[in-house]
Amino acid sequence: MVRASAPLTDQVLWYTTRGAGAVSLVLLTAVVGLGILSSLRFEATGWPRFLTAGLHRNLALVTLIFLGLHIVTAVVDPYTNLGWAAAVIPFSSYYRTFWLGLGTIAAELLAAIGITTLARGYIGPRTWKIVHWLAYAAWPIGVIHGLGTGTDAWSAWFFALTCACIALVGFAVVYRLGVSRDPLADPRAAFRAAVDRRPRP
Amino acid sequence: MIEERLLAGPDLSRGPESLASHMQRLGPPPSIGPALIDVVERSGLTGRGGAAFPVGAKWRAIARGHAEQPVVVVNGAEGEPQSLKDQVLMTARPHLVLDGAILAARALRTSRIAVVIGESKRAALTSISAALAERPEPELRHARIVMAPTRYVAGESSAVVHLAGSGIALPTTRPPSMHEAGVDGRPTLVQNVESLAHVAQIARFGAGWFGAGTVLITAVGAVSAPGVLEVGSGTSVREVFEAAGGTRDTRAILLGGYFGAWVGAAQAWDLPLDPVALRDRGLTLGCGVVGFLHDAGCGVCETARIMGYLASESSAQCGPCFFGLRALADATSRIGQRGSNTEDLVRLDRWSKEVAGRGACRHPDGAVMLLRSALAVFAEEFANHAPHWRAAPSQPRRIA
Repeated sequence: MVRASAPLTDQVLWYTTRGAGAVSLVLLTAVVGLGILSSLRFEATGWPRFLTAGLHRNLALVTLIFLGLHIVTAVVDPYTNLGWAAAVIPFSSYYRTFWLGLGTIAAELLAAIGITTLARGYIGPRTWKIVHWLAYAAWPIGVIHGLGTGTDAWSAWFFALTCACIALVGFAVVYRLGVSRDPLADPRAAFRAAVDRRPRP
Repeated sequence: MIEERLLAGPDLSRGPESLASHMQRLGPPPSIGPALIDVVERSGLTGRGGAAFPVGAKWRAIARGHAEQPVVVVNGAEGEPQSLKDQVLMTARPHLVLDGAILAARALRTSRIAVVIGESKRAALTSISAALAERPEPELRHARIVMAPTRYVAGESSAVVHLAGSGIALPTTRPPSMHEAGVDGRPTLVQNVESLAHVAQIARFGAGWFGAGTVLITAVGAVSAPGVLEVGSGTSVREVFEAAGGTRDTRAILLGGYFGAWVGAAQAWDLPLDPVALRDRGLTLGCGVVGFLHDAGCGVCETARIMGYLASESSAQCGPCFFGLRALADATSRIGQRGSNTEDLVRLDRWSKEVAGRGACRHPDGAVMLLRSALAVFAEEFANHAPHWRAAPSQPRRIA
């Protein structure tokens, strides 16, 4: 019984790992793009600002679910026999030590971002924001992990998908750097000057 | 009804009560030390700056386990433009406020006291400075007076801490909580002047004597004798209206000032002016402002004026507050000046839900609470408003 069904189970788990990995890449790209949009306070007719923030948050949660699926199916797959340690300790896997380790790091960075967001009321916005900047590290590390160890990495469809993701985030980052001016900067400075009671030298 | 405890003593028009008169009337503040925290907790006294937080619980949180000496900040900034009670109290009964400050400092085992006073409140400033110089206690003689800018958010407790510490009256985000790291990184108690004056009496006469306590009310609007009244906690809106010389043609009441809510007159008359009872009804006594809107006044225009003021008082720390309140104020005044239109009504409803809870501080939440109460109480006027502008003269000062 076990023997007969094992090949099928192996295949299901293996396909799930690969599929969930690809879906995570697409979702994470969208989350990073939306995060950059909301840092720019982007809005347009038909796209109110809360939509960016709401999508960013909800897609981030979905991403974590797919990422969890990706990791769990990879670990429990009897064929690869990775073990749970590889999912937690970077570069501890016997199998593709370096490329898989990058995935572990990316997942842990994203977990840190998720946990600090839930605990924002306790840790304060400053710490939260610093940890949130780690997204700029987690995303490229995840992309490299996908290209380095992905079974489908060099198949045409996955390669095109990866290129599209890189182009999207790249464009968003360049755009962010280009329009770094905070629309609140001037009124904020004016108010600050109006309530500044430090002794004048 | 009118019940003078804090305001008992010489007539208010005679200016600051001297230390001699104060001591003769009430005697020196008792030496209780940290045991006072228990007494205050049992009295059930709540903070009178607007949040109605239990005073005893706040003190206990600060007294618990810090190695560093805390700072006691006496908050007389009174940023609410319609409120007068803090300046009246500081001007007429400075020693009662200072008694409260010294009792708080000794309960928290500290010698550090700062008194924050709104810089436009000249009489209060003069009275408190003179009173500090009269006091024998070294903690009070060394107390700092800090002048707060005349801005709405300058009286908010984190802004007061920021001002007393670094000289800039900006609200800050939390954590760290000021109970742990406030002025100069020390645990900090920010307490409204009225709360401290109540403490001065509770320390003398006991928690049982306090009972339901009294509240200082600033009655404004359609009354012939607007001003500050001290009434027993639980006194009805109607009784305050009559005591302030009101006539019958009032249609709505703004309870709790600009951070409060509109209530239709029919529902408001029998409401008890008690911080806890009002909170249980989803309302707030806030800093004690009770505004009466005359029958000839317009709820829409009045709300538009207040929203414009609150938007102009945003400190521009975050988008929901700076952009959100401005958009809400603009939509409200469009209805006021050009008449009702469906788009703006839909926008007000949607935006007010979106802005709530998204600010870095509570400023947008307070403004939205006021607006939503107006949309409910003046629903008919918002739906059928003719183009006109009928609001009381305003005092807002725009910065940008």
